[in-house]
Amino acid sequence: MAKAFGIVNASGKHIWVEGLETYRTIGAFSFLGRYRVVDFPISNFSNSDIEQIKVFVRRKPRSLVDHLGTGRHYSINSKRGKLQVLFSENSADNDIYNTDIAAFHENMECIERMHEQYVIITPNYMVFAQNFDTLLQAHVDSEADITLLYHTVDNAKEAFLNCDLLNLNKQKGVLSIEKNRGTAKNRNIFMDTYVMKKELFIELVKKAKKISSMYTLAQIVSKECEELDIRGVAHRGYLASITDFKSYYDANLSLIDSKTAASLFNEEWPIYTRTNNSSPTQYFEDANVKYSVVSNGCLIEGTLENSVIGRGCVIKKGAVVKNSVILPGALIGEDVHIENQVVDKRAKIIHAKEVISPSEKPGYVRREDTL
Amino acid sequence: MKQNNMVAMILAGGRGSRLHDLTNKVAKPAVSYGGKYRIVDFPLSNCANSGIDVVGVLTQYESVLLNSYVAAGRRWGLDAKGSGVYVLPPREKADANLDVYRGTADAISQNIDFIDTYSPEYLLVLSGDHIYKMNYSKMLDYHKEQGADATIAVIEVPMREASRFGIMNTNEDGSIYEFEEKPEHPKSNLASMGIYIFDWKQLRKLLVADMKDSESSHDFGKDIIPTLLNDGKKLFAYKYKGYWKDVGTIDSLWEANMDLLDKKNELDLSDPTWKIYTEDVTTLPHYVGADADIKRAFITQGCVIEGEVKNSVLFTGAKVGAGAKVIDSVLMPGVEVEAGAKVTRALVADGVRIGENAVVGSADSEHIELVAKRVKGVE
Repeated sequence: MAKAFGIVNASGKHIWVEGLETYRTIGAFSFLGRYRVVDFPISNFSNSDIEQIKVFVRRKPRSLVDHLGTGRHYSINSKRGKLQVLFSENSADNDIYNTDIAAFHENMECIERMHEQYVIITPNYMVFAQNFDTLLQAHVDSEADITLLYHTVDNAKEAFLNCDLLNLNKQKGVLSIEKNRGTAKNRNIFMDTYVMKKELFIELVKKAKKISSMYTLAQIVSKECEELDIRGVAHRGYLASITDFKSYYDANLSLIDSKTAASLFNEEWPIYTRTNNSSPTQYFEDANVKYSVVSNGCLIEGTLENSVIGRGCVIKKGAVVKNSVILPGALIGEDVHIENQVVDKRAKIIHAKEVISPSEKPGYVRREDTL
Repeated sequence: MKQNNMVAMILAGGRGSRLHDLTNKVAKPAVSYGGKYRIVDFPLSNCANSGIDVVGVLTQYESVLLNSYVAAGRRWGLDAKGSGVYVLPPREKADANLDVYRGTADAISQNIDFIDTYSPEYLLVLSGDHIYKMNYSKMLDYHKEQGADATIAVIEVPMREASRFGIMNTNEDGSIYEFEEKPEHPKSNLASMGIYIFDWKQLRKLLVADMKDSESSHDFGKDIIPTLLNDGKKLFAYKYKGYWKDVGTIDSLWEANMDLLDKKNELDLSDPTWKIYTEDVTTLPHYVGADADIKRAFITQGCVIEGEVKNSVLFTGAKVGAGAKVIDSVLMPGVEVEAGAKVTRALVADGVRIGENAVVGSADSEHIELVAKRVKGVE
């Protein structure tokens, strides 16, 4: 059986999630109450029996490194498996040098040392379930040089705007990788997921480095489309790409719907995360909760509707929370009314009695802020 | 980590037969409590939080689940070098016959070799089936300050209930002059919590003698403590204040769960400085549907609530269907209450399914109804 090691890639400079990304890398974003975005790619690896995993952190490592810990919670064999963080120190002079290629180049020794014949690279800013073992097998069977994972969507005009697209021929051969400029609605969104032989990966990293110090993996692969046999494989099921503020907000709320959630979560494919040892959530006499996802450790006396509540939040009496994503440890004070908000970790909304944004442009409350 | 030279032994062999069907397949310490915990999580977490590194768990009755559960010491952080949770069921030894544990003291006696490998100065003996939070290192400090030979944790109980407990009669300085098991006319209201700190060398000698004594029932309360008192040893009572519950019956297990619904409940499971650790289950957060109605409830991850939940505690993965009502009840892990069903004043055992429109329990029942088998739906 073919064996691969995994790399969880970080988002490039073209992606910026306003507010939240100031404090941490997208992989460390709280997601659907109790998860972090990075739990999805790592669980995909772990469930696919890929136990050598490297996680590239481009910037602000604290939150992510803290969450990953020893990686034990991802059900990776603690002796045979390993979760390793790849740092890059290229941003000191100028952020333009801080690319994934630069990080892989800098950590080349530990990539060259790997015993596995193949490598699978997947991003830390997309939420989906994918069996990488099946994908690897499809890659090996096709005898292609590189296999890329994509997802066909019909809303590329207004969504997935910072993502890349695959331009495919009828045989699923990749002709080019392009930016989604929102010009057509039916598109093949590139899921920034690659399968190739380790040797080819090393060759491409070295080649990219020679062409330009600013080159990214997507750019060098796109450039190789004519030379190499690069093919696309379609992904089915749930996909969210967290590449701007609105997509983060939408992805969280979309998963309240149990049918949508069922297209991402199933018992055969567990998504692991780090436990926080919170107690269950306590509802009081005045609680009024409808259509929401609530994590453990909360104290709820107020009203919640169409919202995602992180661990350890306090919703006081008379508070109304609608269409909002509340990150862990936040407090919504008495009679405070909030609507269409993302409230970052440990923020307290006490004095401002009304924080309401239009639904098409949700608002953001900063981490540890008091309003 | 700094060692405090005290090994803990948790007595977890009890069946808890008054819990009926709940303990048919598992020992009482493994019974679920408080939405996501098992009872034994409490003494184990207390040990971890008190800086105790080595914990032996003495199991006997239906111990398969309990053994595998407590053996994963890392759940409580007890997996550092030199630290661990050790499962100690009765075993065959080279110089003795295979014997079940004949009493609480015998369970320790049969594991003298285990304790000796750590050569502790002090031995902490705990019960595996009580719900409470306690810092044993403070109790050890008290034991040292008093220069005691043994210290017993006690809790004040209402005088009228004192005859249900083992009562410690103490002098003004807290020293114990008499121990009475379930006295008809109690002289004090200080009930033993079954938590003891002993000087290990001294206790060891006593246990060796007790093993050979054919008259002895090999019990701490009935034999070891009276012997220490007769020998004129210094025994002190360590007063504990706070939540403490021995959940011996279905009614009291239900009640202990209901206690969590109080706004200022004394157990305070959300205290970040004294967390209770348990198994890490892989589930989604809980989901509350568009027509759900939840008031006064304690709900944990993996639950799916489409109906009404009032004054109830829901354990991991419990489901309440559309139009179903769960009132004054406890739903253990994986319980499914299907659409339109009504559950009142009941404790529904692990994984039990209550069919559509079925009615279980009643609001004016004297006792809490234990539902341990599938209840068929009503057409």
